[in-house]
Amino acid sequence: MKAGKCWNWAVWNSRRGPWAAAATIVAALSLGTARVEAHGFEAGRFFPPTIQTDDPFATDELSFPTILYVQNPGTPATKTTDASFEFDKEIFPKFAVGISDGVQYQAPQGNSSATGFDNLELSAKYQLWEVPAHEWIFSVGAIWDVGGTGSKKIGADSANTFTPTVYFGKGMGDLPDSLAALKPVAVTGTFGVDVPTEGEQNALEWGLAVEYSLPYLQTQVRDIGLPEPFKNMIPLVEFAFTTPVNRGNGPTTGTINPGVLYEAEYFQLGAEAVIPANSPTGSKVGVVVNVQIFLDDIFPRTFGHPLFGGKDE
Amino acid sequence: MVAGQSSAWAHAFLDHADPKVGSTVTESPPTVKLWFTQELEPAFSTLVVQDAQGKQVDKKDAHLDDKNKQLFIVSLPALPAGDYTVNWHAVSEDTHKTQGTFKFTIKPKS
Repeated sequence: MKAGKCWNWAVWNSRRGPWAAAATIVAALSLGTARVEAHGFEAGRFFPPTIQTDDPFATDELSFPTILYVQNPGTPATKTTDASFEFDKEIFPKFAVGISDGVQYQAPQGNSSATGFDNLELSAKYQLWEVPAHEWIFSVGAIWDVGGTGSKKIGADSANTFTPTVYFGKGMGDLPDSLAALKPVAVTGTFGVDVPTEGEQNALEWGLAVEYSLPYLQTQVRDIGLPEPFKNMIPLVEFAFTTPVNRGNGPTTGTINPGVLYEAEYFQLGAEAVIPANSPTGSKVGVVVNVQIFLDDIFPRTFGHPLFGGKDE
Repeated sequence: MVAGQSSAWAHAFLDHADPKVGSTVTESPPTVKLWFTQELEPAFSTLVVQDAQGKQVDKKDAHLDDKNKQLFIVSLPALPAGDYTVNWHAVSEDTHKTQGTFKFTIKPKS
């Protein structure tokens, strides 16, 4: 169960017990944790794969693993560890499909622990509009949380949920030279609507990632002599939120996630704190770490271009 | 993206340049040199220097260093004071494409 199902943890808890509550909170805190991408460029801007919010590129990727640890405030309070992966493949130019899943360990206070697989998640994304000169991209896609494929022990949903989603990315490299220090900034964002197939609550899934690319600063704005590893780091803050929209609504839940990405030759390492944005989300700070493997660099003949329609990086 | 690591299988990113990215120099440099993280494919890689009006001012002889295929060089004539833009497109040996741009300024000591 990913972010799309995290509507109201309190209601969920009352209906399904502590396991479901824990799963819900993990989803609320992670908002698509496994959903990251490989090399995404607009002109000279490299948009890195972000951890908590999906970026707008439809490219080949392997995110393995993403490990999230959080403590949720439910009844009982539960410590949860979630390990997940995602694999995406570009099928046609600018169109990719993906599959992701994960396994979750839940340890509620005063109760025995539970371990189980999350629901399988399938996705599709298309890069609809790009303006490389302005480091701009807009994409559309959808996520299908396949109900009943996960373990009920951890509260995996039995119903299908579809989440049509739009994505955008904007680099600030086109700012005037008087604002050169801000040129390394980039913002990506997502906005989706959960549509469950059974009588559950619809919710808006929205997120932002604000990045400051030190590689961009060093190579396109001003070489300030940063040494390794700093010159290949991208500090960022991600914001990941869920807002219920019907059936009684409920509080918006979400997290603020400051962290850093490190770009190596064949992989990216990322780590972020997971800070609950409000009391309905929780009060304990968690952590998430991620490894993104650049398949297109390791196996360039196999990855980094679509299956059909010619090469398209 | 570590300089000095030579591999045929990765994107070629700019590691550093001479003149430095965003720098101000007091004399017209004889060349612009770009060091990349991977070896380049010269037939498909480009390096152009333009003045503030967008006119190409380099000697149109962009080439890889004989002994270092990660070093891309273009010669410059004696240039007057002003702002200059370096535009590059790099194709690594596995055909991955990258590009970038940066500025440097020539400002003689007064």
